[in-house]
Amino acid sequence: MKVVTGVVGNDIHVVANRLIDLSLRARGFEVFNLGVNTYLEEFFDAAVETGAEVLLISSLNGEAEGWGREVKALKAKYKHLDNLIMMIGGNLVVGSGNAEDIVPRYKNYGFDLVCHQVDLNTGLDTLEAFIQERNKQ
Amino acid sequence: MSLLQEEREIILNNEYVDTFDFAEVSEFVKNASKDLFISHHFKNKPLDKMLVQPRGGFPTYKKQFALNEFFVEANVDVLPLTIDSNTRLNDYATASKMLRLSEANDVDMLNGYPLVNHGYRTTRKMITHFNKPVSLRHGTPDARLLIETAIASGIFEIEGGPITYLLPYSKNFPLDKAFLYWKYVERVCANYSELNEPINRESFGPLTATLVPPSITIVIQLLEMLLSLEEGVKSFSVSFAQQGSMNQDIVTGAVIKKMAKYYAKQIDCEDAAIHLVYHQWMGAFPTNRDYAEQLINMSTVIASMVGADKIITKTREEAVGIPTKEANAKTVANTQYTLRILNGLPSVVDEEEEEILTLEVKAIMEAVFNDPADTLWRKVFNSIKNGIIDVPFSPHIINHNELITIRDPQKNIRIIKRGNVPIPDRCYAYEKGKCDLTKDTTSIVNDIIHDIGIMQ
Repeated sequence: MKVVTGVVGNDIHVVANRLIDLSLRARGFEVFNLGVNTYLEEFFDAAVETGAEVLLISSLNGEAEGWGREVKALKAKYKHLDNLIMMIGGNLVVGSGNAEDIVPRYKNYGFDLVCHQVDLNTGLDTLEAFIQERNKQ
Repeated sequence: MSLLQEEREIILNNEYVDTFDFAEVSEFVKNASKDLFISHHFKNKPLDKMLVQPRGGFPTYKKQFALNEFFVEANVDVLPLTIDSNTRLNDYATASKMLRLSEANDVDMLNGYPLVNHGYRTTRKMITHFNKPVSLRHGTPDARLLIETAIASGIFEIEGGPITYLLPYSKNFPLDKAFLYWKYVERVCANYSELNEPINRESFGPLTATLVPPSITIVIQLLEMLLSLEEGVKSFSVSFAQQGSMNQDIVTGAVIKKMAKYYAKQIDCEDAAIHLVYHQWMGAFPTNRDYAEQLINMSTVIASMVGADKIITKTREEAVGIPTKEANAKTVANTQYTLRILNGLPSVVDEEEEEILTLEVKAIMEAVFNDPADTLWRKVFNSIKNGIIDVPFSPHIINHNELITIRDPQKNIRIIKRGNVPIPDRCYAYEKGKCDLTKDTTSIVNDIIHDIGIMQ
């Protein structure tokens, strides 16, 4: 299964991005890693270009909050992305916040899976469970 | 007029430069106090005295001056001048605006000293006032205007290089351009070096400070050294940062010293003075300030075991943000104290580890030299592009990211996947043999996460 991943915005924190890449490969995904400092358009362009089924965006400095608001409007401009599984993880706010507020907010932005300060393996377990569930339907 | 001089005039004819007087600057360098040259201190210091240099830069002249006063009070050997992030990206307009805001409101709006905006006439007053060598710390791919301003100000040590200031800091600044911009820097440093004591160039060995294996660090140090010496630089410092295992640091220090001499001789530059600089731990720091101090102290001990010529310090506030001048000066005083009481250090030699590391370095260097390109910088460029040189955790798009490292039980950094890096089979088997590779990849990823944060 193809996954496009990367760190959104002007965020240059690369360590977790590499680890996400490694872990996804270890779980058998085909990974298209756009790296740090990636804009939303680039994510959607890559999803179209690769025919990916999952888009996994990460954020460390919390910039995702600003970008997240634009996801729905931008995604609507693309055809054929309706079945794309949208996942986001990392530190999803600048400063501190709690998951109870953050998760519904991001779901409203158009994400299927939201992992705020969840460890990597738990997050990827969630993704795999979600895919399995969807395949059953 | 030489091509270089033509380029210099274009670079210095910039709206943010207040008329650059070439003749006056040359005259200044020619007559500058020897005390301003770190190369002079390296030459004349007692053999076992390590020079101590902190990090630090504030936006306003006033604050930078006050920081320097604190450092001098703490018995500093080398003053730093760290440049703000806008200047690093050649955005002098933003730097100028933020400087004005910092001056008007007494709040720091920049994370360093905007040297180009302050200009050399102003900055020179500060540098000559303290009469200590100053090291320029930045992170700039195109540092042409910055280093012209620095040398004109009396800053006679320039850190950085086309690889070490690009691969850890940038996603897509073109690497070939960086090589050419740094060629200019080397030439300007070499030309000024003929007027007085040599300008010292220093490479930035820590790279990403995240599980970089010593072979990669050393190769990049050697290549930046060669690129600098071939342009005529006569004083150069190779460097690396604390890696997490004292033994690996000692081995790295021994091999880098030997190899630097060896390769300098290969290009008939054995007359250049080569120095070794050690960075206190550059990875993730403990948030507990007392632990941070213990870590800093241990770094100083290891630097002594390594036999470094200069140590660059951290502060107890590392995990928190930009350190206060008080915390910064405290580290300088503590490091000098530790160095003063560290006597009768034993000499540690690990021949097997040295042999393995030497073989790795030579194999990678040979692969770089064997690239068919016509000049060294193009060979290096191609080698990075095709993954012969691969820096773990570099954000740059040109980097291969196929090399994977973890720590062995003694916390040595080991290569468990070599990618395109030509690690000889024997060395590769040795490195992998030190690690437990029976685990599945998920556990290895967990180990990597743990290995990155070992000092926290």
